[in-house]
Amino acid sequence: MKLEKLNPSLKALTVLLCAIELSFQYLAGLNTAVFLVCLLLLIFCSDASLKTALQILIPAFIAALGLFFMGLYYARGNSLTDAELSGLSSLPYAVRAALSTNFGAALQLATRLLAFAGLGVLFALTTDRELFLYSLMRQCRLPAGFAYGILAAVNLMPEMVREFKTVRLAFRVRGLRPGPFSLGPVFTMLVNSIRWSESVAMAMESKGFSGEQPRSYYLRPKVRWYDWLFCLGALGAILAGMLLLPK
Amino acid sequence: MKLNWKLKDILMIAVCSVLFGFVFLGATYAGGLLSGVLTPLGLSSLGYEPFYGIYFMAGAFGIYVMRKPGTGLVAEMLAAIIECLLGNYFGPIIILSGFVQGLGFELLFALRKYRRFDLPTMLIASVICSVVTMGYNLVISGYSSIAVPVLALMLAVRLVSAMLIDGCLVKFLADRLARAGVLKGYAISEGLSQDLED
Repeated sequence: MKLEKLNPSLKALTVLLCAIELSFQYLAGLNTAVFLVCLLLLIFCSDASLKTALQILIPAFIAALGLFFMGLYYARGNSLTDAELSGLSSLPYAVRAALSTNFGAALQLATRLLAFAGLGVLFALTTDRELFLYSLMRQCRLPAGFAYGILAAVNLMPEMVREFKTVRLAFRVRGLRPGPFSLGPVFTMLVNSIRWSESVAMAMESKGFSGEQPRSYYLRPKVRWYDWLFCLGALGAILAGMLLLPK
Repeated sequence: MKLNWKLKDILMIAVCSVLFGFVFLGATYAGGLLSGVLTPLGLSSLGYEPFYGIYFMAGAFGIYVMRKPGTGLVAEMLAAIIECLLGNYFGPIIILSGFVQGLGFELLFALRKYRRFDLPTMLIASVICSVVTMGYNLVISGYSSIAVPVLALMLAVRLVSAMLIDGCLVKFLADRLARAGVLKGYAISEGLSQDLED
């Protein structure tokens, strides 16, 4: 059973609900477990390469490290209460003091971000763009105009990169040197983009696409029992972790 | 809410969202650098805040150009779906963020019954959106466990960023686009036609 086989909309819903569920708990252990399970699922139950996953996750790791330090220095404190600390009273005071205030909060902040990133990558690397849009149309009633509009815009991207280079070159030809934050090229790109979008819309309509009439579909993603099993299983596992894992 | 969008509108917002996505990507690198520098100080998340307004650009642009109920929310969610398709590491969670951001930006326009689209309204909408998204961060990102003064500092930077980028810059760009005649047929160009004729 590969993750790619799951219905994209339900997979997205699962990821979203898991993230919401995770934001109502403060267990660093559970967050870490979710992150590791996501990586394991990617390794064993999908065609995605771990290398790509880790590459995408690099900014997430950096952000998590940053959040860790933020929590360590500026947490609201009292992440471990005195009652919980009583079991640790044999530890030296310095260790207890370090443990008591901010470390837990820091860890919890950083691991939550990692858990979210794990869930996000799990979705991103196992989901085909077009299939996701088809599924959004069927399962989430996304109007066809929006789905195909998004698809057209996404597929215009390489063209836009090329155009941006041309626009910058055109500025240089005129003796202007736009910096990375100057508005000139952005404005020109906006003008070009809006003109393109009009042409693409006109082209789609002249091919008979209106987005309103019922149409036939080559791909019709369905929701099957194992999609629900995955969704409920994931939510149930996190709930179990919330109830069973030690605070 | 009836989605009364023409194909042309959808593509205009979608293509602009891809463009804003590029700007956003560049800002993320800059934000990453800045946040890396701030990490030893424990203020890394602050590094992203100066660019936070870029997240709301699609919604601000959508509502300012089209000026109809739902345009800000739908434009922001459209941008979020595109961001998700392009392989952001937060995946579908971005769509939820997009919903909150779009709602946050559109709130004020809805309260004013979609009649006022001047600079103060855009600025106040940016402020409301910043506050709403900070509330969302408190719950979702776990910011509620960070000390209040640091959160206040982050919110302040985010407010300034949103006001500059979404209040001023988006309005400025959209007005110039309208004057250049690219946005014909949208609400923003109504009333401009007389100026163009003489």
